[in-house]
Amino acid sequence: MDSEMWRIVLASLVVGFSTLTADAAELRGTVSNEQGAVENAVIYAIPLGSPPAASAGEAIIDQVDKLYTPFVSALRAGTTVKFPNKDNIKHHLYSVSKAKSFERPLYTGQKAAPVVFDKQGEVTLGCNIHDWMIAHILVLDTPYTKVTDKTGQAVISDMPAGTYAVRVWHPGMKGKKKAAKNPRTVTLAAAAVEIDFKIRLRPKSRWWREKPADADKNYADDERNSTGN
Amino acid sequence: MFRFHSFRTRLTVFFVGLLLAVQGAAFVIVDLANSHYARQQINAELEVDARVFGRLLAGRTAEMIQAARLLSGDFGFKTAYASGDQGTLLSALQNHRSRIKADTMVLLSLDEEVTASTLERRAEAAPMDFSAILEAADDSDEGEAALVMMLDGRPYLMVLVPLLAPLPVAWIGIGFVLDEQFVSSLKELTLAHVSLLRRVDKAWRIEASTLREPDTLAAALARVTRPRQSFVLEMAGQDNVTLMQPVAADGVLQAVLQRPLAAALAPYQRLRLALLLLTAVAFVASLFGASAIARSVNRPVQQLVAATRRVQKGDYGGAVAVDRVDEIGELATAFNHMTQGLAERDQVRDLLGKVVDPAVAEELLSKDLKLGGEEREVSVLFADIRGFTALSERQHPSDLLDLLNRYLSCMTEVIEGEGGVIDKYIGDAIMALFGAPLAHGDDAQRAVRAALAMGHELVRLNRELTAQGLPAIATGIGINTGLVVAGNMGSTHRLNYSVIGDGVNLASRIEGLTRFYGVPLIISESAAAAAPEFIYRELDRVRVKGKLEPVRIFEPLEAGILGDGELESYHEALAHYRAREWRQADDILAGLAAAAPASPLYALYRQRIANFLITPPADDWDATVVHSEK
Repeated sequence: MDSEMWRIVLASLVVGFSTLTADAAELRGTVSNEQGAVENAVIYAIPLGSPPAASAGEAIIDQVDKLYTPFVSALRAGTTVKFPNKDNIKHHLYSVSKAKSFERPLYTGQKAAPVVFDKQGEVTLGCNIHDWMIAHILVLDTPYTKVTDKTGQAVISDMPAGTYAVRVWHPGMKGKKKAAKNPRTVTLAAAAVEIDFKIRLRPKSRWWREKPADADKNYADDERNSTGN
Repeated sequence: MFRFHSFRTRLTVFFVGLLLAVQGAAFVIVDLANSHYARQQINAELEVDARVFGRLLAGRTAEMIQAARLLSGDFGFKTAYASGDQGTLLSALQNHRSRIKADTMVLLSLDEEVTASTLERRAEAAPMDFSAILEAADDSDEGEAALVMMLDGRPYLMVLVPLLAPLPVAWIGIGFVLDEQFVSSLKELTLAHVSLLRRVDKAWRIEASTLREPDTLAAALARVTRPRQSFVLEMAGQDNVTLMQPVAADGVLQAVLQRPLAAALAPYQRLRLALLLLTAVAFVASLFGASAIARSVNRPVQQLVAATRRVQKGDYGGAVAVDRVDEIGELATAFNHMTQGLAERDQVRDLLGKVVDPAVAEELLSKDLKLGGEEREVSVLFADIRGFTALSERQHPSDLLDLLNRYLSCMTEVIEGEGGVIDKYIGDAIMALFGAPLAHGDDAQRAVRAALAMGHELVRLNRELTAQGLPAIATGIGINTGLVVAGNMGSTHRLNYSVIGDGVNLASRIEGLTRFYGVPLIISESAAAAAPEFIYRELDRVRVKGKLEPVRIFEPLEAGILGDGELESYHEALAHYRAREWRQADDILAGLAAAAPASPLYALYRQRIANFLITPPADDWDATVVHSEK
């Protein structure tokens, strides 16, 4: 279905449901490509009317088993993010992205100072000593965001009724600029609205790195064992 | 002397021609095979060279990709990139370029714009076009690519890897210029000449080359319309086996690997020289060898020819010297044996001619000898020396033999002069045949003529003998003409050509009567009938021993030997005598005897008549005298 057709469908939905509800609404999004459901896609809605009230939230991106978790985060601009290292080795967190360029050289545990993501945009996190450790952060000026799960679904709840520009984003998505320019306009009333996105992805190697099979060999344990004796 | 058809010339031409043909064929085959193998060898070497070239490029590419990957992971470079400071970025690129000894480094944005480049660009240079390598990198899983491309008008081996921070944020390009240094390093590895060519407007431009005069390659290639992958290219008079190997996917850039054909052919050239030398030596050797063989055959053959000519002329004297054991030697030996055989046969023939009459010898030699004969009319002549026994008593045997031989030789000559054939000598007697083995048609005349001539010859011989103080010889000759059997008689191993029959016996008997009648020559009635042109005196009518029929006998007379009318008077007297008219007969005979007192014939008849006057003959008397003794 092309966007023109979607617009007709959505317009009929708006007419059908706008009078029914007063407050909270739900946006149920589904993202898929030719292969099926797409995980780690971000669906976000920006109210076309009054902007949402600013709130400085907090978020955590863990480092577990030499991987960043979650792989994809959608944050509201101004969010303070902590990067606790839960591995028994050090990591060297960095980003050279324009939206946020920073570095937290080799540290363990909670020793890294939190980072405030104050600018909208894409941020790619890396670890200087582990090439495969990658995390993607989409910084947005809206709280209405959600990352799709394995079934490609993301439900944004507690949304006030109103009209939103709804977009999809994925770190490996083709035509990001075009997608950013052409949002779907959704008017939410009391009922849930479902929205499907069909996207195309670049090869996985362009936005994801396979963790080597021997990456979990525990060098730190070996060292501790040797010093313990 | 040079004669094309001489054995020597032909042998020489054949041997030398054969040698040259075989050697020529061998030379051509060896030459073809050699140049074929030399080319194959060079081709094989060039293919190895091409693989080395490919490996060198691949190795260089791998090195550069490693270097680019290291830079891509360099945190300092990432942060320099993140800083967005152009100067810093370029400086960092330069640093890395010199660190890995690359020729150029570029940084391309994901939008495919040149962010930074170490290449010092000339003002007129075309904009750098990375679209092909970017597309290749984009298509690959790794996001990496390596390509030979033109950059600023020069061929570069270029690699492109993404700058990861941690995902691709830009492209790092590392370039390695394919220049003289590169082809030189390749030549050190392969020993082949390496040139890099670029196709510009349907012509080849030399980008780099190890050739001393690269322009000759461009000129030579211009003559080749559709170069195959491997071919022989003539450059400045030298053949080079040439292998073309594309180094860029579009074929615009080609690596040309070349090896001179002459170098690979050099060992074969020595072989060719050796072959030529061998041919020359074999040529001279075969020339001399064939000549020598021809001479060794020719000389004895010439000797044999000369000897054959001598033999042809009847000279059996010179045997050919046999000093060799080969076929020629065998021929010479056989020739000598043949000559000896011929000589012996000629001797036999000569001897035969002496022993038997030449005509008989001829007859014997010309036909197969076999027993048997044919009946034919022959005049047989017997000649005998009267009183030979008395003669032999007076003479020494060897003198006697001499005398006899002289006599026989003379008589034989006369007989043969008349075409007579000596049948045999029987002691002092001669038996001769006229009409066998060859008939002349007038054999009886010949016999009579011979007999008369013998008388003349005897007179001549006697004059000689008398002059030498030797005794004169008197002979009696008898001739009979009649049917006899002529042929070879004897045993199968030893035989004579002779005649037998009554005719022979009668001739012999008649000869025996000459003494009785006191005449030198008597012939039979049949002989006289066969030779009527002579003058005959009828002697008598006789019945000889062994024959029932009476035979008249005659004496041939030389014209003028008797007095006028003597012969007619005698024949008249003979007629009276036979008619028993004794008186008339005796009267005539008395007259004749008075005229020729030496003639015993008239006395003989007068004696008979005297006897008949006393004792007349019987009534059945037929005037025949019986001669019972031999």
